[in-house]
Amino acid sequence: MSDWHVPTDLLTAYRHGTLTPAQVMSVEAHVTGCRACRATAPADDAWLAGSWARIEDVVDRPRRAPAERALARVGLPEHLARLLLATPTLSRAWLTSVVLVLAFAVGAARFADADRALLTAFLIVAPVLPLAGIAVAYGPTVDPAYELHAATPLAGARLLLVRAGAVLAPAALLTGAAAPFVGGPAALSFAWLLPGLTLSTACLAAGTRFPVPVLAGTLAAVWVAVCLLATDTYVVFSGPAQVLYGGAAALFTAVLYRRRGRLDPGEPR
Amino acid sequence: MTDTVVLTGITKRYGRRTALDRLDLTLGAGVTGILGPNGAGKTTLLRCLATTLAPDSGTIRALGLDPADRADRTELRRRLGYLPQDPGCYPHFTAFDLVDYVAILKDLTDRAERHREVRRVLADVGLTDRATTRVRKLSGGMRQRLALAQALLADPDLLILDEPTVGLDPEQRMRFRRLVSRVGEDRTVVLSTHQTEDVAALCERVVVVSGGRVVFDGTPFALAAAAEGHVWSTAERPAGGQYWRGADGRYRVLGDRPAGGESAEPTVEDGYLLRLAEPVPA
Repeated sequence: MSDWHVPTDLLTAYRHGTLTPAQVMSVEAHVTGCRACRATAPADDAWLAGSWARIEDVVDRPRRAPAERALARVGLPEHLARLLLATPTLSRAWLTSVVLVLAFAVGAARFADADRALLTAFLIVAPVLPLAGIAVAYGPTVDPAYELHAATPLAGARLLLVRAGAVLAPAALLTGAAAPFVGGPAALSFAWLLPGLTLSTACLAAGTRFPVPVLAGTLAAVWVAVCLLATDTYVVFSGPAQVLYGGAAALFTAVLYRRRGRLDPGEPR
Repeated sequence: MTDTVVLTGITKRYGRRTALDRLDLTLGAGVTGILGPNGAGKTTLLRCLATTLAPDSGTIRALGLDPADRADRTELRRRLGYLPQDPGCYPHFTAFDLVDYVAILKDLTDRAERHREVRRVLADVGLTDRATTRVRKLSGGMRQRLALAQALLADPDLLILDEPTVGLDPEQRMRFRRLVSRVGEDRTVVLSTHQTEDVAALCERVVVVSGGRVVFDGTPFALAAAAEGHVWSTAERPAGGQYWRGADGRYRVLGDRPAGGESAEPTVEDGYLLRLAEPVPA
């Protein structure tokens, strides 16, 4: 090793960040191997730790799932996207079952020369799909990590509503995409939307008092029974009925907002 | 010592069964062990503390906050770490993703800061090299450490651990004790366990719960000392009472002196078993 050391003025300029890149590399190459110069240019430990952390975050950042990247592209905050995609209901199994049900309805309509009976069956089943998703979105009996969630600030209404939204959106999108292909008038193909919203909000509102999966099953059974027992099934989807559904959905939403605290497992009863 | 947790007259019933019966307890900084048989009310007690369950009656003050109040409860949840008895995990998540997910639920929204915190707690429990392994591929002990990691997020002021050493091998248990004792130096740690050796090695204070009531509250040394004069060693099988045969081939007897019995040094386990044998006060 030579007896040469970095001159004080050069070290000062290095510390102040006023050197050219070539000079910086030259100083760093020397300082790396020279204990005496290192001692005169003490490292900024806090800066160094922060710098390493930033590098580690780039190198060691977990790879995001395609769905997460897609949500980020539409402007959803990263943490919210992660939260949504962790919803157990949004598993491949549930999404696959929704797609299969819809594919069956569309396939039957296209190839089986089906009449209005198929559209009727579609209209009856479509509102139940999001309801089924909500039933297994959050709760002690359906979510394996429920107890972990329950002790976090997001427990209760916030998490349930985020997850309900995460379920409702793809269910509505998929069902909406299938609706034009099942035959019948265009308006009638989408007549399931308000009943679906009503059933979902009713389930969430009553979930402040009763277990959500039990409610979802009961509401689905009542809905199917009402449709089947109606003298003309299409009455259930008529204009006046849609107005009723809209009103009921608004009412259930208000009840849910008022009683949202009851969805928190730590809320005194 | 300042009390960080004060429970007064806590009662919790499940149908006709009373899990906690007018239970009073105060906790301060340090590690407190909750001992008790199955069904004694330990998990219910910890769940009430962790705000995942509301008691039917009684009051709780934790870190100066009232969990019965919604805003206080949310603030308390930001400041506590909780390892449930059965943490449950999403098997398709990686270890990193699971802890990251809980960090989001704890309102750590800044990604870079959150990821730093996730790496820190994974390193604390020795799972750095398993960060990208899916939960379903982790062993039982690793899953338990992963669940502990999420409880350590954001440096909680109150750490609640329900049966934390289940599934850990001796080396992992030692690491766990070191970790928890470090947290307990300036914060409140409460853990329930069946392992009296964990209590003896780790806890400055032990609370024995039976029938939903506190039947002992003191140091592990005091619990062991309570068995003084009631622990015997004998070569002959005793006629009755609580006894078992030890590795040395001799019978260890709790209670009245058996024929030919010699006085033996009491342990925390002896004190615990003897305390459980006594009737729960009305």
